[in-house]
Amino acid sequence: MRVALFIPCFVDQFFPNVGIAMVKVLRQLNVEVSYPPQQTCCGQPAFNTGYWDEARQLARRYCEVFADAEAIVSPSGSCAAMVRNFYPELLGQATHVTSNTFEFSEFLVQKLGVSDVGAKFSAKVTYHDGCHALRELRLKNEPRELLRNVQGLELVEMSEAETCCGFGGTFSVKFPMISYAMDDVKCESIQKTGVGYVVSSDSSCLMQIGGYLRRQKLPIKTIHLAEVLATT
Amino acid sequence: MIPSRENIIARVRAALRAEAHRPTQPSASPIWPPIGDLETRFRDEFEALRGELIVGADQLREFINQFGCIATDGSELVRTTVGDGNASVRVADLGVTGCDCLIAQTGSVFVTTRSTGGRALSVLPPAHLVIARRDQLVPDLASGFALMRKRYDGHWPSSLALITGPSRTADIEKILVMGAHGPKRLAVYFEG
Amino acid sequence: MTAIADQFKRAAAEKAADPHHRAVLQRAIATYDAAVARGKTRFADWQNARAQAAQIKWETINHLDRYLEQFERQMIENGGRVFWAETAEDAREYILRIARSHNVRKVVKSKSMTTEEIHLNAAFAVAEIQVVETDLGEYICQIRGESPYHIVTPVMHLTKADIARTFHEKFGTAPDATAEELAGIARAQLRHEFLTADMGVTGANFLIADTGMITISTNEGNGRLSVSLPRIHIAVAGIEKLIPRLEDLALMWPVLAASGNGQAVTVYNTLLGGPRRDSETDGPEEFHVVLLDNGRTRLLADAEQRDALHCLRCGACLNACPVYRNIGGHSYGTTYQGPIGSVITPHLREAREWSHLPYASSLCGACSDVCPVRIDIHHHLLHNRRNAVRLRFDKTWERWAFRAWLWAMQTPQRYVLAGKLARVALRLGLVTPLVNPWTQGRELPEPPQHTFRLWWRNKGRDGCPQASVKKQPRRAGDNAFYQHHE
Repeated sequence: MRVALFIPCFVDQFFPNVGIAMVKVLRQLNVEVSYPPQQTCCGQPAFNTGYWDEARQLARRYCEVFADAEAIVSPSGSCAAMVRNFYPELLGQATHVTSNTFEFSEFLVQKLGVSDVGAKFSAKVTYHDGCHALRELRLKNEPRELLRNVQGLELVEMSEAETCCGFGGTFSVKFPMISYAMDDVKCESIQKTGVGYVVSSDSSCLMQIGGYLRRQKLPIKTIHLAEVLATT
Repeated sequence: MIPSRENIIARVRAALRAEAHRPTQPSASPIWPPIGDLETRFRDEFEALRGELIVGADQLREFINQFGCIATDGSELVRTTVGDGNASVRVADLGVTGCDCLIAQTGSVFVTTRSTGGRALSVLPPAHLVIARRDQLVPDLASGFALMRKRYDGHWPSSLALITGPSRTADIEKILVMGAHGPKRLAVYFEG
Repeated sequence: MTAIADQFKRAAAEKAADPHHRAVLQRAIATYDAAVARGKTRFADWQNARAQAAQIKWETINHLDRYLEQFERQMIENGGRVFWAETAEDAREYILRIARSHNVRKVVKSKSMTTEEIHLNAAFAVAEIQVVETDLGEYICQIRGESPYHIVTPVMHLTKADIARTFHEKFGTAPDATAEELAGIARAQLRHEFLTADMGVTGANFLIADTGMITISTNEGNGRLSVSLPRIHIAVAGIEKLIPRLEDLALMWPVLAASGNGQAVTVYNTLLGGPRRDSETDGPEEFHVVLLDNGRTRLLADAEQRDALHCLRCGACLNACPVYRNIGGHSYGTTYQGPIGSVITPHLREAREWSHLPYASSLCGACSDVCPVRIDIHHHLLHNRRNAVRLRFDKTWERWAFRAWLWAMQTPQRYVLAGKLARVALRLGLVTPLVNPWTQGRELPEPPQHTFRLWWRNKGRDGCPQASVKKQPRRAGDNAFYQHHE
């Protein structure tokens, strides 16, 4: 099985270990990975702010960059959703490139049929459902199946697992107080679970949640699903 | 030729020249679970709503005796079961009416202004008693509407009302309070 | 930012920072969530119910002219009167004209967002006609001089203690009265009003085209009383409230109630098709329906967002919205709030002035998931944002920022350079004004020493050339390292 890696711009620039972890896990499963270095950004920030002409240019670019890929895997629910669900609206139709772009946990469970990657991570964790992964890609069980098979890991659900963390890209900058209140609700729910880690498949959500936890000097850490699965 | 009417219709027609996307087609899968035994279902729903199901002539007498000032709708069934109540609807503490049908699915009573003495009788007095026959019980809303259509099509009464339990409100901090404006008590007696 | 947008931002920030307000809202919504979860179990297939309801509304809205004409024909045959109001002003003028010509002194009103939309109460006040809100929640709002907080639950933001205090001030009742006592007081007060009012004004939940009837749903019974006792009844309804057939209510009533508050159906569902008939003992002598456009045909013309007119006004999207849960209803500053309100307001009102509302969302999509008629609410927020940019409602600097950003994203060299600059700025603490608001309350991440693509070039490629992929044995000791985000 061969996949092309789609590493979102902010993962590339700010959270590279998420991408590195994903590569490790895929290779352990005998998946050949390639990384088209021409890739830049999927265009979601422009798209979400209403700048569709700009986003469309990046959508076309993405389709060119990944034209030869069999499957494209990304450690980001929001970026995968952008390509699969919104590129068709921007471009007027779905293409084999847009249809074959997957989020990481989705790819493992649905395409490879794997839910145990042999990982070991002894900790009590809770899972935050990023909105795009949950509602655009309809992923709920996939990350949880993967986490339940991690040795030593105890998964505790929080009451607000499906509630938006409040990032929403430029929303958090345009309406910071609303974004902060939503972050507060989320982190209060996390704290009630007594976990040591909050896991998600979106680094933007983890940045939002982690930013709050660190400011409050709370002992809970954020970690991406790929990083948990890469731990042995 | 009313200009505002013509303007609005013209704007609607112009707007609809552009086609909107169609929603996903509904499937054939049934929306409602089976109703089961009608009387059991009606009783369960009705009592969950705090409706009072009166069983037997003794209970009926006991119920009626709680009220001093009774207004009735003058229908045959009500007259033969409880008699005539001559109080004005504005001062009555109990209104007694028949109904067109009862709905097992929701524990509802379906009345009209033609069959049950007007609009106010079934809502103004603080208590409402419905005298019904068992054969007036239908399974669901769809059959209730079918019955109404058959009975009244082409010559509808000015108002039909589906009554599902006594009046209530939860506006105050989600605390349930019975008897907001309509009747605080709703009772059904099946005759025979 | 327009004055209205500014006002919204301030109001929202204030409410979002108010822990008491949030606690009250969360409690109310938790009760609602539990009730709705139970209510949906009454359906064997809730998703199919949504699909069918969506189908009924699609059919109506996309043939609206036909159904409007049918409705009017039937109404007139039943002895009712129909007035077509192009604007809010037209509607107000008509209603006042009827009121004046009948020497109306007192009006009883059943809850209606549409009458809020046209600011009817203010017009009555100017004409010195007394208006009494009869829905308990709205009655409380009226006493307090506030506008309703939520489509379905007008005083969601008040505790019982708040209401007891209000009643104590107004009626001299015990300051610690129970909910039951408070409702009893309101009942007694309002009973007198029902019995002495000259005119009843209501909205309509549905308009039935084939029988020429309107429907009114209440739990309290105030709707029924408003239309039974006064001699005139006027109902104000948006043109989009139509459904084709009476029988459609067998689905629409339960669907509305389930999403509205988890009930099987509302306690009182009343159908009204005309003034009292000759043989009837009571009822109004005159029955008027005011069909309101007020910008709806503008939304109708937008084929992409037309299905926003399918809205049943159930309030489910408000309750599901994490933004609404934190800022409440008043912050929106307009009649229709929450997710659906943010979609339709730029169409119903001045687009530029209200273009900020679609942006006040993280696009989480919870609203679309709960909508009983499957309106694609959160995608319409995106459409509205795109429209705002097309119409150049955006700020010039933002437009240029995104053009510059696009330029940077178009080649990997520019992109890498931009990334480098961003990380340097982060490391030096040169936090840009753009990122600054976010850092009020949150720590920025530590910028990493290297990027993914650098790692790939130096280590990650693992010897595999770009163009062809050959299987290479994994090197010993080659473990990807990772750090936990802190």
